[in-house]
Amino acid sequence: MQNLRRITQGIFLLLFLFLFLQTEAKGRDELGYPVKIFLDFDPLIFITTILSAHTVQKAFYFSLIVLAAAIILGRVFCGWVCPLGTLNNIVGAFRKKHSHAYNMNWHRTKYYILIFLLAASVFSLQLVGIVDPLSLLIRSLSVSIYPAFNYGTKAVFDAVYSSNIKGIVDISEAVYSALKKSILSFQQPFYNQSAFIGVLFLFILGMNFAEKRFWCRHLCPLGALLGILSRFSILKRTVSEGCTSCGACASVCQGNAAPDKKVVATRSREEWRDAECLYCWNCDDVCPQNAVSFGFSGRKASASMDLGRRRVITSLVSGVVAVPFLRVNPLSKAEVPNQKLIRPPGALEEKEFLKRCVKCGECMKVCITNGLQPTFLEAGLEGIWSPLLIPKIGYCEYRCTLCGQVCPTGAIKKLNIEEKAEVKIGLAMIDKNRCLPYAHATPCIVCEEVCPTPKKAVWFEKVNVKDRNGKEKTIQQPRVDLEMCIGCGICEAKCPVIDRPAIYVTSIGESRSKENQLLLMQQDKY
Amino acid sequence: MNRRDFIKLTAIAGIGLSIPNSIDKFVASVEAAEKADLIVAHGASPSKITRAAIDAMGGMKKFVSKGDIVVVKPNIAWDRTPEQAGNTNPEVVGTVVQLCYEAGAKKVRVFDRPVNDPRRCYVQSGIADVAKAAGADVSYIDERKFKEINIKGEALKSWPLYTDIFEADKVINIPIAKHHGLAKLTMAMKNWMGVMGGSRRTIHQRLDESLVDLSMAIKPTLTILDAVRILTANGPQGGNLSDVKKMDTVIVGVDQVAVDSFGSTLFGMKGSDLGYVKIADQYGLGTMDVSKLNVKRINT
Repeated sequence: MQNLRRITQGIFLLLFLFLFLQTEAKGRDELGYPVKIFLDFDPLIFITTILSAHTVQKAFYFSLIVLAAAIILGRVFCGWVCPLGTLNNIVGAFRKKHSHAYNMNWHRTKYYILIFLLAASVFSLQLVGIVDPLSLLIRSLSVSIYPAFNYGTKAVFDAVYSSNIKGIVDISEAVYSALKKSILSFQQPFYNQSAFIGVLFLFILGMNFAEKRFWCRHLCPLGALLGILSRFSILKRTVSEGCTSCGACASVCQGNAAPDKKVVATRSREEWRDAECLYCWNCDDVCPQNAVSFGFSGRKASASMDLGRRRVITSLVSGVVAVPFLRVNPLSKAEVPNQKLIRPPGALEEKEFLKRCVKCGECMKVCITNGLQPTFLEAGLEGIWSPLLIPKIGYCEYRCTLCGQVCPTGAIKKLNIEEKAEVKIGLAMIDKNRCLPYAHATPCIVCEEVCPTPKKAVWFEKVNVKDRNGKEKTIQQPRVDLEMCIGCGICEAKCPVIDRPAIYVTSIGESRSKENQLLLMQQDKY
Repeated sequence: MNRRDFIKLTAIAGIGLSIPNSIDKFVASVEAAEKADLIVAHGASPSKITRAAIDAMGGMKKFVSKGDIVVVKPNIAWDRTPEQAGNTNPEVVGTVVQLCYEAGAKKVRVFDRPVNDPRRCYVQSGIADVAKAAGADVSYIDERKFKEINIKGEALKSWPLYTDIFEADKVINIPIAKHHGLAKLTMAMKNWMGVMGGSRRTIHQRLDESLVDLSMAIKPTLTILDAVRILTANGPQGGNLSDVKKMDTVIVGVDQVAVDSFGSTLFGMKGSDLGYVKIADQYGLGTMDVSKLNVKRINT
């Protein structure tokens, strides 16, 4: 059974990584793979999104399968499918065998986290993405691990290449070009906070050295949700009379389920914890007496999970209290929008957006110019790691609609090219003190040249100016037609004044906002 | 079948169909070839007129020898579709690639350094698909291949340029004729911006001189100006179909200045209206005065 489980885990992990690699533009309008499908299967995101935003994304009906599986088969998702669980398994395998097993018995923590998240989401605060295992994994890989992997790989091959050693370079270049075609990204991605997010992720993996599957056992809120359901599962573990209480199973248990405790019924802490069982079958495999078996039975759920009424209430109240705490932030005032908070095209109005965004980083991974970056506090603590566009890093490609295609919760609407052309994400304005034609009487037309709207939003006024020597010349000074500008930021990205561009985009005028508007006529649209 | 596949298929089919027609033309054109400086070919099929124009220049064999490595440099700067006329017509590119192979080329390389995302530009322009189908080696720009070249020009002293251009045996420039906000028009000489590395946006400060400096450093064997569709406003990117004018024309010449000078007439201008053409003429890079040239017009 152990091998079958490992193969299954391997297949799902490879599928996950394959889809992760496919979350990259190839030049066509669509990606061609259901890259977000693991998120679609995530019932925790499904439930919290219903609670916070009162919407149902059809794709999430897949997650009902996972819920049903938990009710029938227990936490098989954790033990057999979850890619983060598998990674934890792999890292845990490097843990010294027979080193003293710390069983910290913190397994209740994850239920408190779950209760906190659910309570918050009832009151419209969607924080699940920060700790949801799939969101966390995709985000960490997207903005940290994968970029670092690319950087390191390129550095190694570049070093070999510049060494100029005949023979070796030929081989390394052949390998390099094969890697470029398969697992390396088209261009080196760069992200704000990549080290921070990466360290958090590595910490989670590293905790496996303290206790294997530490994350899955003690912290994972999805595991908690499935754990609660698994108590009703009809696939049950039973221990026959043959058990000699040798304890062999205790050290191989993937969960923190106390498999060496036969008793299920009493309220003692020493009992078998069925909600913690990951259905890894290790205890069955290892039992020298062959006393452990898994089978379908109609037996009812075991005794209470003993979470403690006070602690449950504390988590519940914390979740509720977190709502006003995070919302008493000036950003919640409609009249004080953050100029830098340029959301991707199709992003919903900010409040609605935050109710849905699970910070999975899919949009940042797929962004064709690398312009979508994780926020830090630009959208308040509530919006941490949600996407914002930093045009200087990468502009919004006019005919690209990928971010909306990969968003699992509809926080970014799926737009077609025609719809997208109508969406403003901000407006560009010119800094005349830095613009070459204005401040220095020097020709430059780059912002106009790259402006993508069919009738260009950047236009020229021909002006006669004198240079230092009094020589008169005609120069074209750019102006922005605010009605036409969509705020894509290519002008800012390509402006030759590269350190602080002489034309730049801020969030004002964004279609999704009623308040963050400038033009009289624009306001009529709402 | 979606629209893109259709364009691709018709383009490939068009290239194929033009072959039998061109064989007899080839024979007929050899005699006239010596004298013509520019060939202006007009007709409904982009691949047919491309083939006919090159035949009228004496055939591709005159320019490409057996075993040559040829760089074919289209304009693939923008994420635009062929009907928007932001990039070189894919059918023209495909035909030129095919002609090179027919003339015995060992390898034909096709690349450009786009302004928009390279992947979208290569795919949406239709050029990658058609050029690959014709057997070309279509590649994205590899940053390692830029090398500082001593141009010793008026405005550009030295600049990182793409080494494939200098390592190739033959270079064929296939620009498209478009409106441009500063250069007025972008055609052959301005197409060399696509082999510039570094922060090329600064050259707009002295664009005309820079373009001439650049064009002095690169010696194309042949220049084929795509004017199947020209972009008359909102260039060089376009996007508005009402700015696109269907001309069904290609202009072929060895002298890139002459090609640009003649190209300006498609827009109702003269070569002397373009700063870079004027300077190039003064430097002796080519001929601006179209009346001095033997321009041969053909219709297919």
